[in-house]
Amino acid sequence: MKKKSLTRDEIIHLAKLAGLSLTDSQIEKYKTQLEETISYIENLNELETKNVDPTSHTTLLTNVYFNDGEKNERALDLPAIFQNAKNKEKNYFKVSSIFDE
Amino acid sequence: MFLGQPLFSILELIKKKEVSSKEVFDYFLKRIEKYNPKLNAFLTVNKSYRTDRMRLPIAVKDNFCTKGIRTTASSKVLENFIPPYESTVTRRLIDARAFILGKTNMDAWAHGSSTETSDFGPTKNPWDLARCPGGSSGGSAAAVSSYLVPAAIGSETAGSIRQPAAWSGVIGLKPTYGRVSRYGLIAMASSLDCPGPLTLTTEDAAFILKIIAGKDKFDATTAPNEVPDYVASLKKKKKFIIGITDEYLNGVDGEIKEAFYKLVEILEKLGHKIKKIKLLSPKYSISVYTIIQRAEVSSNLARYDGIRYGNDRTFFGSEAKRRIMLGTYVLSYGYYDAYYKKAQKVRTLIIEDFKKVFQKVDMILAPTTPIAALKLGEFEKYPFFGEMMDVLNEPAAIAGLCAINFPFSLTKKDNLPIGLQLMGRWFEEENILNLTYQIEKETDFLGVIRKGVKKYPD
Repeated sequence: MKKKSLTRDEIIHLAKLAGLSLTDSQIEKYKTQLEETISYIENLNELETKNVDPTSHTTLLTNVYFNDGEKNERALDLPAIFQNAKNKEKNYFKVSSIFDE
Repeated sequence: MFLGQPLFSILELIKKKEVSSKEVFDYFLKRIEKYNPKLNAFLTVNKSYRTDRMRLPIAVKDNFCTKGIRTTASSKVLENFIPPYESTVTRRLIDARAFILGKTNMDAWAHGSSTETSDFGPTKNPWDLARCPGGSSGGSAAAVSSYLVPAAIGSETAGSIRQPAAWSGVIGLKPTYGRVSRYGLIAMASSLDCPGPLTLTTEDAAFILKIIAGKDKFDATTAPNEVPDYVASLKKKKKFIIGITDEYLNGVDGEIKEAFYKLVEILEKLGHKIKKIKLLSPKYSISVYTIIQRAEVSSNLARYDGIRYGNDRTFFGSEAKRRIMLGTYVLSYGYYDAYYKKAQKVRTLIIEDFKKVFQKVDMILAPTTPIAALKLGEFEKYPFFGEMMDVLNEPAAIAGLCAINFPFSLTKKDNLPIGLQLMGRWFEEENILNLTYQIEKETDFLGVIRKGVKKYPD
């Protein structure tokens, strides 16, 4: 099995995309583990799939719609929405600012 | 008092007023208090008895949202999360007069096959406390096996019901994808996740499936197919054509193969037909599963930002991070076609492969796991951190089929349960349950379930 390799920068980039912070030793660990996994999954290339459609759904349901004007019973009321929030003000969640002043 | 009584019998006893609902509640609470410190099967125990209306004592895996009862998915991210709504599965159970005795331990976010990735410590295998119960529904499997509760709900993405059921020596049913609603189930991989029961008898599995199955307006992926009376249809003496394949015996432990062939003989004696079939190697399913599951994980776990509920992303454990990283990689620019799209194409090949085989046979018999329960800490030694323990479960999961594990004999050396499985066509839970019931009536699963319960006296 040919071993695929990833660079440290690629690992750091992936962590950034995923919103994860990694320590130096974690970067090394995940680099090795991801390389191992990516090398294994290469075995899919042993199968010819040129004329095969990708699966969209295993039990072949299609087009499940929500009717216009129907009441959305899944919607939560305001107290329920904020019940688990650590930081809120009136009916808003409070987050750190993302723009500089 | 009730030791080893299945859920259905307890219900009958309450109906006939031979015991009260409160007595049942107290009985199981006492057993949980006695044995849970050793097993760590429950993360939360629901000690508040509410009404005599309740008749079905049941445990639920901690990834089902239960209104007002802490739900963590065994992750510190959700350590103090109290769901503001009820999952459809628990809603339907409560409507059927169930009382939820507690929430069971699991691999964090259901990532794993051992419960060792739980942020609240691993569950121990009731057959040998130095071993894993399997996972990710390991708490549910251990709770049923040691009779801390007569039945439990688990969830399976690829093996998470069948594999712990096999290692802990109980019945575990993974329904067809879309048979049971995922609403309120903390999502792992949305195109694969299936809730299902872990029980002591086939009848209980059928009974619970009937309660939880069916179309749900809150989950658009649930199927509109009618829900048959799974319990009533157990009694039909059906004859089946059962497929067996060498592809599912490669690398399988000798004693497990022995159990497998012993059952093949019994099935022939019962008048069923055994047919050799050929299937794609399960090794491709591992790759397809790894790609699709990690991709869906990275997307589903993106919502945990600590703003609306829960803690922030620094609370993710090592396994969740690893999966998010790989998922992000296979979905990222330039790699999507090579990995994700390729995997979905091979998934089509796997589905077509099963369809072809199911023209010739009604179901497939195979071992559930290549070996019996591993010791705690042993998973690390295996590549993929135990993904290989689910090699025989992944193909059916990827194709969305229904499948059921049942115990069949113990290993001689370590006295550990061996699990075998039947995989059926889409929405043919009736058939795999029917044959499991026939096996139960003929063999009593070689006494495995009863022996397991006996290890934990009142």
